[in-house]
Amino acid sequence: MSKGELMDSVKTRVKGILGNQQVLLFVVLILMVAFFTWRNPIFFSNAVFGNILSDWAPIILIAVGESFVIISGGIDLSVGSTVGIAGVVAAFEMEHLTTSHHSQNFTLIVGLLIAVGTGIIVGAINAFLITKTHVVPFIATLVTMGAGAGLSIVFTGGGPVGGGPENAISMTVPTIGPLSKPGIIIVILVLIAWAFLSKARFGRYTYAIGSNSFAARAAGINVNRHLAKIYILSGILAGLAGYYYYLRLGVGAPTSGQGGELQAIAAVVIGGIALTGGTGKLSGTILGALILTTVTSGLIIINVAANWKQVVVAILIAAAVLLQQLRSRARK
Amino acid sequence: MNTTSVLYEVSHVSKNYGSVVALTDVSFKIHAGEVVGLVGDNGAGKSTLVKVLSGAHQPSEGTITLEGVERHWDSPHDALEAGVETLYQDSGLAPDLSVSANVFLGREKYVKGVLGKLGFLSQKEMDIEAHENLEKVGIAVPQSGRSVSQLSGGQRQAVAIGRAVSWASKVIILDEPTNHLGARQAGEVLQVIRAAKARGLGVVFISHTLPHVLEVTDRIVVLRLGKIVADAPTNSFDSQSLLGTITGLIE
Repeated sequence: MSKGELMDSVKTRVKGILGNQQVLLFVVLILMVAFFTWRNPIFFSNAVFGNILSDWAPIILIAVGESFVIISGGIDLSVGSTVGIAGVVAAFEMEHLTTSHHSQNFTLIVGLLIAVGTGIIVGAINAFLITKTHVVPFIATLVTMGAGAGLSIVFTGGGPVGGGPENAISMTVPTIGPLSKPGIIIVILVLIAWAFLSKARFGRYTYAIGSNSFAARAAGINVNRHLAKIYILSGILAGLAGYYYYLRLGVGAPTSGQGGELQAIAAVVIGGIALTGGTGKLSGTILGALILTTVTSGLIIINVAANWKQVVVAILIAAAVLLQQLRSRARK
Repeated sequence: MNTTSVLYEVSHVSKNYGSVVALTDVSFKIHAGEVVGLVGDNGAGKSTLVKVLSGAHQPSEGTITLEGVERHWDSPHDALEAGVETLYQDSGLAPDLSVSANVFLGREKYVKGVLGKLGFLSQKEMDIEAHENLEKVGIAVPQSGRSVSQLSGGQRQAVAIGRAVSWASKVIILDEPTNHLGARQAGEVLQVIRAAKARGLGVVFISHTLPHVLEVTDRIVVLRLGKIVADAPTNSFDSQSLLGTITGLIE
């Protein structure tokens, strides 16, 4: 092989790796685990991994919803407040059912339905504003974000809502390796979402709308109806995340989802989904969210002040965006 | 041509956008196996007429009939279902999707069984068929798994046309299909139009490139300021008289 050929083959290799964000993210994740373990061997333990996955579970739920929304060319800023309000509303109902002596399991199931229902309501409001009144997604979901966050504080006076079933908190303790039972259910939900995004009509239409909504409409796709489904899906997943926080904390905390929208968007962007819509993969979001929660736990364990986390996340976002630009330039 | 073979017809169609009048009392017919050229200066109302024909916009007045039956398109979907395909200027494809995903967009093929009912796609089948369908209408595209954004301008246009032609069962409306194309590629597009005509489709060909219009059409309809000012067989025009009719120098 001549020097020129060798350079070319190296170039194609590099391009191939650049083209596969998932591989890169996986390498970053492994490097992080190695670094944190080197600085403090305690990091490499079931307990810490369990903690990381417990943090990951609610973030991946809202990040999955955010992935669908962003691939469709929109944005959902309301997911964080939906997490909070869904947890709070469900907590009120579970407190009520507990004081009127209903069984714990019945109470937990009703709470789950209420949390999901709250998410559906917020998602439907977003969908209505975006598809019927034609408010741009950024503004529409900014409205529901503010309203949701405000209402959770008004309902609760700012404090947590307890008095629900006592066995709630034990449910999120890891039982199967580093995963809890709700954690396993969330992993399954994420896999189902992945299948629908990458292998089914639902995902195909989501990409098509984000890529060129005019072409999607011209091809006979009911764009508004599909967008409505996506925002409601995002609401449902945020409602589930709110319920998960309830289980984890044992109370409904109005602030449990605070900043969740930014974490979700960070996970999506680090995962390689372009904010312009039409491209990206859910496997990237899954790894992006995992990297975010690994950084959080890792920095605490190696005794770095918690605020550094935001700096590290900012660097990761910048690197991801830079990579995206390099890749789109390489493609051209 | 006799009147029984009228395929698609608009009669007395007007279209207003608020106080702006885009089309006034437009009537014309497309027969099976006929290529009708639709020409006019910028702002003559061509795009509006295309949108009305394709179901993207509803006429303010007038009727549309397909094979003698009056139709009301509420959306492009209705027109597509009825066999009326439209190729829009520049924006007919989703660039991030693959060639086959674009060809099958809105008409996906599903795997068998429960998964298919849930909307799971039979991608392999679509990849192969997309390639075959495009080949059938005379378009050779490299891999149908490639994303459209990786194709050249000419290849993209070929895919868009191939998609429209392969799905059309009655009428095909081509809005500026030879725009931004080189001479050889434009020639290929005209060949595809002739093939569509041979299949018995009614073709509406909208173009600014008058030599193409004169070359491929049977009849030319000229729009000026939202009204039809001429509707005559192509052989009654030459490039000078056509240009004069479009600009209004020849009344």
